[in-house]
This record gives sequence, structure tokens and C-alpha cells, in this order.
Amino acid sequence: MAIAKAERLMNLALCLLSTRRPLTKRELRGSIEAYVEAFGQGQYRPEPDAADESFNRMFERDKDDLRELGMVIETVESLDGETGYLARRDRNTLPPVALDPEEAAALGLAAKVWQHARLAGAASGALQKLRAGGMPDGGDPYEGGHSAIEPRIPAREAAFEPLMLACRDRRPVVFDYRKSNSPQPQPRHVEPWQLECWRGQWYLAGYDRDRSAERVFRLSRITGKVRNRGRGFTAEVPDRVTVRETVAAWAGELTDRTARIRLRTGAGYPLRAKALSAREAAQPGWDELEIPYGHGLDAWLVEFGPDVVVLEPAELRADVIDRLRAVAKG
Amino acid sequence: MANAIDQTRRMLSLVTYLRERNGARVGDVARAFGISEDELISDLDVLPMCGTSFRGGDLLDIDTDGERIWFRNPGATDTGEPLRLAADEATALLVAARAVATLPGLRAGDRDALVRATAKLEAAAGEVASASSRLSVTFESEGGVFADVDRAISEGRRLWLRYYSPARDELTEREVDPIRLFAVGHTYVEAWCRLTEARRTFRLDRVAEIKILDEPSDPPPIEPRDLSEGIVRTTDEDPEVVVEVGPGGRWVAEYYPHDSAEELPDGGLRVTLRAPDPSSLRRLALRLGRDGRITAPSDLADAAREAAVKALAAYEDA
Repeated sequence: MAIAKAERLMNLALCLLSTRRPLTKRELRGSIEAYVEAFGQGQYRPEPDAADESFNRMFERDKDDLRELGMVIETVESLDGETGYLARRDRNTLPPVALDPEEAAALGLAAKVWQHARLAGAASGALQKLRAGGMPDGGDPYEGGHSAIEPRIPAREAAFEPLMLACRDRRPVVFDYRKSNSPQPQPRHVEPWQLECWRGQWYLAGYDRDRSAERVFRLSRITGKVRNRGRGFTAEVPDRVTVRETVAAWAGELTDRTARIRLRTGAGYPLRAKALSAREAAQPGWDELEIPYGHGLDAWLVEFGPDVVVLEPAELRADVIDRLRAVAKG
Repeated sequence: MANAIDQTRRMLSLVTYLRERNGARVGDVARAFGISEDELISDLDVLPMCGTSFRGGDLLDIDTDGERIWFRNPGATDTGEPLRLAADEATALLVAARAVATLPGLRAGDRDALVRATAKLEAAAGEVASASSRLSVTFESEGGVFADVDRAISEGRRLWLRYYSPARDELTEREVDPIRLFAVGHTYVEAWCRLTEARRTFRLDRVAEIKILDEPSDPPPIEPRDLSEGIVRTTDEDPEVVVEVGPGGRWVAEYYPHDSAEELPDGGLRVTLRAPDPSSLRRLALRLGRDGRITAPSDLADAAREAAVKALAAYEDA
């Protein structure tokens, strides 16, 4: 049976962390059993053979995996031109973190939040490192004096992970994006800045190369694969990215005007909860409300059917009548 | 193979942890690492195959009798301190901690602990902490309602709610025995509803009024819901509703879990979904306006039409 990958990675990590001098690829290949078993000891030869090639590929992947764990692996060129590798202790050590049991419990709660395999694994990994560094046992976060809340962050969209990595590494991407009202997805070339989750939905803010402007994308509207496109951003990344404001504007939550409506007594609680003022109307059985008027208010008011009458402004009244006529026609 | 990466990172931390705790109990170590005893034992099977073998066969001499763990040559490696945090690790923990800390209604003690822990973690993570600013999460909650539900759960007391049902556009009063509070985008309380004698999930921003009662909470023992599948769930037994929308109504397929969404020649969709109470979708039909209509069941389509006609009458009178 082939030696398990975790054992191979573990041996490579221990070799690189324990050495005081750079180790050459050949030394590592000869001293880690998993490499010897798969590719043989390896001879020094001017032209690499097939086994050398596959070893090289595996070795590169293994180093990348260890970097994902947080290891800083240095590459050192020796005088005779051979490349050596080592992971210096001083660059790979977690500095002391003094956490009290309350803080440990708080982080324990935070580590359970991700419903995404990679980030859930990363969060547990971070806790385990802190534990190895002496973090005290915070006890059960759901017992004794703590909030009884179970927060969860979903990340079901296939585009989430590649975009998270692209934001992290500042790599441009291309993906097919279907706008809300359009049946056909269009390719979008984006320099991804930031991902934000609001009301359970993930959004990406970035620089849209095709439109030469900042844009916000909803991840659930990305169809197909997210692919990397070259390196380097061409546009400057702003200090502050305003995903939520943009989405709130879409949702009609940025309002600068007010509307006056008549609402049947007892109906439309959410309208009442948002109302700036409310009083009994002249007509019995009705109240009169002032509510904030933003994008999308017409569609919302129509939902209440005959329980709402728009009084002003005239523009909103006309929009609502227009929508009602369309429904009445069937 | 994310699992091999997770296991490697865990084993590196284990080696550091066990160096200081020779004879540690299997159960204690598994709990400290948040893993099952079986997972720990399988790590302990791998560790004796690992070491800095280029120095001449220094394999880790770690073994267990199933109860305690012995590290017989802790000098075999230099792994005295844990490995620094990786960018993803710092991001996963920092983003989650910041998100939870901003939850309205969280107890002050928990919030303070999260804020302190976040600052210490940022300092320890160093430059890799900067990547965590590229991800952010906001939970929505009603702070006052949250605090009352939280208190009722910890004190084991029943709650009285005036709760808004958007499906019927009405407020109902009910007594509920709270089971747990959870946040997925919005914040919810899962509770045993005394009115319907059933488990119900209530969204906190739809609670119009809340009181903590003196009666003890006494929910029947039930399995908590699995939250990974989403909040709204319908079954095959629920009646079928068919909505035909134009391009401007394609959002219906994003907001409503559905059985199928068929492309139409005009760029629209035919969405088939299920609703336990189809009349609750009258508001969807009204909202769609010229962007779509409900084609089945026909009484639902009629109800929407009638509501629109009635609403228009009020404008003609004026």
C-alpha cells in the first residue's frame, strides 16, 4: 500500500523544520520513505528521467501544501548551483498568545461558525495550534454564562472558494455571470477585492475590467467555473470597499424621500415597523402612515393588495396603479 | 485531499502538545483538539512513522495503551513551539470572531472576550492577518429580542410572542418553549410552539413583541434541526405552484427553493415550487406585476387578480 499522504507531508515538514542547513531535493528524496518507495533513491544524472520528473511534481505540490499550513519554506541556492530548502524556526513559530479561559471559549465558539469544509478545517487547525501553544480549556461555549447563540456562516456557492483564494492572493479572475434580469450569462473579467456575506448571501466587490469600474456581484449568479487570468491588478484597490451599501441600495434600503400611505387597521405590520409616523385616518378602519421611500417600494406595497392605498407622491401612486393593472389583467 | 492537509496540521500541533504532557489521557487530548478518540488514535498510528530521518532514523517514539499517550523521545524533534498561523487559519478564525462580536444582543461578556481574543490573534498572526480583511460577514439580529430569548433559554422559561406571519400578513400571539438561537444571515429561534404543538422556527426581526413568562420551558426532546441544508424546507407532499416569469422576474428562482426552473423562449422561466400553504404566495403574484404570473393552482391566480381589482377600486373612488 502506498504511504499515506499525511505521513509523507509530516515527514517533509519535520525534516524542513529540524534542519539547520538547507537540504537539497536529493537529500529529502533519499531520506523520506514515501519518496524512496515511490521513486527510488534517485541518482545524480544530467537529464532527469521519468521518475525524477514525477518526484519533482510531487515535491512541488507537497511544498505548496505545507505552505497552506502556514510553513515558510526558504529556498537557498548553494555555491555549486544546487537548490536547498529549509524552514527556519524563527520564521515558523507562533509567537506566545496569552488567552484566558473566557477568550478561549469565545474562539471555540467562533471556530464552529463555518459551514465550509476548507475554512472549518482552517479554523480548527488554528485552534489546535493555539492549544499546542498552551491555550487553556474554555469549557463548553454553550454552558454557563455565555450567550446561547449558534452562529453559522454558509458558503454553498461553488464560486466561493476560488474567489476567496483569488481575493487572498490578489489574482484577476474570469467567470460567467448572469444578471438578475438576463437569461444569458456573460463573461466578466474581474480583479477581486473583497467577499462579503450579508443576510446569508455572498457578494464579491471588485474592479470590472470590461466596464472599467467597480462592481458588486452576487455569487449565486455566477455560473460555471471561476478561472484565474494572469497575475497582477491594473486598478488600485480602494482602502474601503462598500459592498453592503451597494446591496442595500439594490434592496431599496437607502432612502431619501418619504411616502404617505393609507393602511388597513391591523394589516401590514412590517410597514408599521418602518413608519416614521402613524395616525388614524379620516376613514374608519384605516391608518395613515409616513414611510421611507426608496427603490423597490412600489413592488413591496403592491404585495399588500387592497390593504394599502398610496396617497403621495404621485409618481409612486402611478407606479403602484400600473403594477396592479398588470396583475388585474392576469 | 484537504483531509491529508488537515491531518498533517493537526499532527504537527499534537507533537508540540504531547512533548509537554507525557502520559496525557486519550480522552483529554481528543477533547482539547476537538476530534474524536478514533481520529486521535489514527493520528497516533501515523506519528511513529514520522521523524527527521535524514539525521539517521530519529523517528518519533509515541505510543498509547488506548488510555494514556507516551512520548518517549521528545528530544527527537525541535518542534517545541507551535507552527505560525497560515493565512487561511487566521482568516477563518478572525472573520468568524469579528462577525459574532457584532451580533446585536450578544452578552457583553462574550463580546468583550471576542474583541480581546481577536486583538491577540491579530498580533500573533502578524502579516497573514491582513488577508482576513478581504472577507467579512454580518449577521442581522434584533438585539432586544435576542437578549430576551437568550435569557429565557438560559433560565429555562417559556416565552410569549406576538409574531408576524408574512404569508398571511397578520400578527399572531403564541407561547413557545425556546430550544436554541441560531444565526444564518438572519437570527432565528427554534422553539416548541404550544399553539400548534409543533416545532417552529421564528425569525427575530418578525417578532413584534416578546415577554419572558414565569412558567418553565418544557419542550419535548427533539433532535435539533440540521442547519446545513438551509432554513426553508418543503416536502414533496406540499402542493405544487407554477410561476411563469419574464426576464425581469428571474429573481424568483433565486429566492424560492424550487423543484425545477425551465427556460422560456422570451428569456423568462417557468418555475415549479412547493408551498405548504399556496395562498401565502398571493403576495408573490402581486409583487411580480407585469414580470410574471402564477399559472397553477388556478384559485391562487384568481385570488391575486381579485386582490388587484379590489385595490384598484380604491384609487378610482378617490
